[in-house]
Formats: sequence, C-alpha cells, structure tokens
Amino acid sequence: MAETGAAAVGAVARARALRSIVLTPTTARIAALIGVCLFFSFVSPFFLTSSNLLNVMQNTVVVGIVAAPLTLLLVARQVDLSVGSAVAFAATTLAVVAEAGYGLGAAVGAALAATMLVAVVNAIVITKFRVNSIIATLGTLVAFRGLAKLEGSGRNIRVDDFDLIGRARIDILGLQVPLAVLILLAVLASFWLLMSQTRYGRHMYGMGANPKAALLAGIRLERNVIIGFLLTGVVVGVASLIAVSEIGAVAPTTGQGLELLAITGIILGGASLSGGRGTIPGIIVAILILAVLDNGLTLMRVTSFWQEVVRGGILIAAVALDQARLARGKADVRFEL
Amino acid sequence: MTDQPLLSVRHLSKNYGAVEALKDVSFELRRGEVVGLVGDNGAGKSTLVKCVAGVLTPSTGEIHLEGTQHEFSSPADALAAGVETVYQDLALVEMFDMTDNLFLGRELVRSGLLKPFGLLRKREMAMAARQAVAQLPARFPDLDAPIETMSGGQRQIVAISKAAFWGRRLLLLDEPTAALGVKESAGVLEMVAHTASRGDMAILVIAHNLEHIFSVCTRILVMRRGSLVADVRAQDTTPEAVVAYMTGAQ
Repeated sequence: MAETGAAAVGAVARARALRSIVLTPTTARIAALIGVCLFFSFVSPFFLTSSNLLNVMQNTVVVGIVAAPLTLLLVARQVDLSVGSAVAFAATTLAVVAEAGYGLGAAVGAALAATMLVAVVNAIVITKFRVNSIIATLGTLVAFRGLAKLEGSGRNIRVDDFDLIGRARIDILGLQVPLAVLILLAVLASFWLLMSQTRYGRHMYGMGANPKAALLAGIRLERNVIIGFLLTGVVVGVASLIAVSEIGAVAPTTGQGLELLAITGIILGGASLSGGRGTIPGIIVAILILAVLDNGLTLMRVTSFWQEVVRGGILIAAVALDQARLARGKADVRFEL
Repeated sequence: MTDQPLLSVRHLSKNYGAVEALKDVSFELRRGEVVGLVGDNGAGKSTLVKCVAGVLTPSTGEIHLEGTQHEFSSPADALAAGVETVYQDLALVEMFDMTDNLFLGRELVRSGLLKPFGLLRKREMAMAARQAVAQLPARFPDLDAPIETMSGGQRQIVAISKAAFWGRRLLLLDEPTAALGVKESAGVLEMVAHTASRGDMAILVIAHNLEHIFSVCTRILVMRRGSLVADVRAQDTTPEAVVAYMTGAQ
C-alpha cells in the first residue's frame, strides 16, 4: 500500500516536473535568452568569446547579488528600495575609514556594519511602526544617500589595494573566472535553497500570497519579515564590498539606481509586486537577458540611451505576456463556477 | 469521565466600547456532536466563534476544553489546543496546491543536524496529503493544481479537510455553504457529515440556511442580539420555531 503510494507520488511528481519544465514562464525566458544570444552571436564576432561572456557575468555580479534577497522579500510582498543607498553608505564608510588609516580590515567591518544599520532601521520602521515597506525604504533610500554624501563630503574617494573580492580571478579548467562571479553563484544558490527547500521560504511565499491565511496558520509574519531584511543587509554588505573593489573608488553616485535595476530583473523574472510569485532560476535568466542585451547592443555600437529604452520595453512586454497567460488560466475557473 | 463536555463556554461576553456583541453566553459541546449556530446578521455568531478560535479575546467569561480552562491570545494558541477553524473566506493560499495548503504553518521538516535549516520533507507531505484526500467523499481531478483553479465547493472541501486533518478536538465552520450552489453545498455537507462520523471531534457550524443546518446538525444553538436564546435538539424543533427564536417572536 505504502509502496504503491510512493510509486504514485513518484510518477505524479515526474509528470509534474516534466510539465513544469516544458510550460513555465521560466522556460519562455530561457528561450528568449537563447534567442538573444543567437542573434548577437550572428551580428558580432566578439559576442561568443569566453572573455566577453565572462565580462557579461562580471557585469551582473552586483545587481545579481542584490536581486537574490530582494526576490525573497518581494515574494513576501515586501520591497526594499534602499539597497542602492545602502551600497553607497557602506562604500563611503569603507573609503572614509580606510582613508583615515584604520586599515582595510576595519574598513570592511565598518562597511558591513553600515548595511546592517540600514537593514535594522528598515526592519524596525516596517514591523514596529507599521510603515508600508515601499514608503519606509523610500525614506531610507533618500536618508542614507544623504548620509553617504555627508560622510564623504560629496567627494570621489580612491580606495587603494582593495582588489581581491572584486578583481581576483580563479583558474577553473583554464577559464579565468572572477572571484566575484563565484560569490554571485554562491549567493544565488543559497537563496534558491532557502526559498524552494525550507520552511522559512515556504512561509514567505504564503505570507505574500495571502497574509491573512498565513497569520491564521500560525506563521509569525513580523519575525519572518525582520529576518528577510536582515538577510538583505548581510548580502548587500557583500555586494557593496564588490562594488568598491571593482572600481577602486567611491563616488556620491555609487549604487544609484541599483534598486530599480534589480527590481526590473526580478519582475522580468516572473515575480509579482503583489507577492507569492517569483523564483531564483527565473530571476537569474531575466538578469542574464538584461546583461546580454546591454552587452550585445554595446558591441553593435548602439548608444546606452537606446539600451535603456529597450530594457524598459522588454520589462513591460514580459509582464503583459504573463498577465495574459494568468488571465487565461483563471477564466476557465470562472466558467466552471 | 465520559459525561465531561469537550467544550464548555461559560458566561462569555465581548464588548466593543458600549456595544455588547456577546452577552453572557454559556453552552457545552460533546465529542461526535454536530451543532448548528444560527442567528440573524449581527446576532454575535461570528464574535462567538472568533473568541473560541483565539482571534478575539473575550471581555469576560471562560472557555474550557475537556475540563481545562484556556485563554487564547492568538489563533496559534487555539490551534495548539486542538481547535481548528474554517473561516468564511477560507484562509487558503490560492497559489499553493493542496499539499502546500494542508501543511501551511505545520510543514514537516528534516530532523537531526539539518533541523535548524527547516528543510522541507516534500515527499512525505505529498504522500500524507494523498492519503488524506483518498478518504474524502469528494474527488479532485488534479491534486497538484493550485487551489485557485478549483471551484468554490472544492476549495471549501479542501479547507474543511485541512481542519479535519489537524483537528483533535473542536472544528468551527463559519458559513461553509455560503455562496455555493445546491450541488456544491450538498458536497460540502457530505464532507461535514463524513468528518463528524469520525466521532473524535465536536463540530460547530454557523449557517444562514436552516435546511443545511437541519440536514447535518443534531443540536441547534440560536443567538439573538448577542445572547443565546435557545439550545434545542434538532429532532425536537422545526425551522419555523428556530426562525421564531431568531426574530424574537418566541
């Protein structure tokens, strides 16, 4: 009895897995990514070279790392708009502490503490003062950008000898893979595990899809939101180190627009502002699509202004297609009732 | 021991400022009973159920389960005490499938060294859900489909089966047949009777439709303006008499 039950579950799970591989928003996006790659490999001889593809990967590192915790939050219907300013605040803190001669170790520690401070402020304002997360983090976006400028007196500050995390390359099977890309992959893998395989992840999806049901099921909403913002703080701290290291300098505009770039990728990847939807694999594909587009259009010598137009247009088109698909699925149910 | 009531509500009152939503309500439920709770809109039925379910804290009065007094400060407290509630708006996650809904908030996770990570035991949960569904009087074409693709009656049955799956003592059903058609209502009532036949729980059903109440309940509690005005056995009364209690004609 139990044997046949297990076999039935296995068979259904396989059928489900097959269906979920063939017919999902993520596969549509993978097809789009392959299409875009094919197109650029025909138009530009430089596109399909390993150095160019590693370059594409390197360009996705900071936005990809930041997108992982933001996806977790968005799934629970929480938005963090302050990540760009948190990167600036942490980067400036790092630069100022290093400039004052306390050494890079202390500077890195201060930078990580800086993003945690932003995260704690966000968590308190949202859960204790009950301010909607969009408004709360819009506030911290503005405030911490100001603090970053105050801290650095609005200057560009050089950070010397801080190369490892952003510029080191590791030899893997003859490919010089940037350490930062490996960090990106580790962050994405961790968040994929957290979101798809753990109780915490399941609760975040449930809270986003139906907060009332989650509350009545005994799920601790506030605690989970706090954990989500603190995780964001940790991960954004790592992203800020990479951002400083890549460039070797900090400017008042460091990290500006990072939140919108990440959220564009997340929404393009199939997440919804009303929570409950979105997966890490979907978001990875979406961010790669955006990065390949930027890269390919640059190789074709299309101006970056047009690249922005293309990015916005693709976001709207992708979400409109998903909406059409969802509406079709639900229309059947209405008639059944 | 056997004549100890499962649920004993004693002198329960709930005030909202000067408004008395519940006035000195007392009653008892025994295992295996299906009891109907009826009353006009605003009679206090939902307030009463919410107090027993831990959603509201009563102003005065006591709730006893099998002789032990409980003061619920959250729905989680009531769940822990074996009280399951199916709300009118179902409280299911529409995007989740049946298994995920069944285990929401009570997921099975791996034990041992991995315990702090809360790794889900998806296969075990899917198997348990299948076994639970196999015993239901209703059939579901696709168990892996999100709840949002199911009809209203099917969703109601999922919600009740979830409560029955976890419930150890008391099942509170708030308007289980509201907004359902005739055939779907019959399916849900069959589900209620099926759950009652287990005999290990008491079920309290709120409903407007007296026909539905009389078809599954053995006893009927009638509320009017916050007070309990009648506690009668279904076989000793008629729908007309119950309406008279509800409107105050009797």
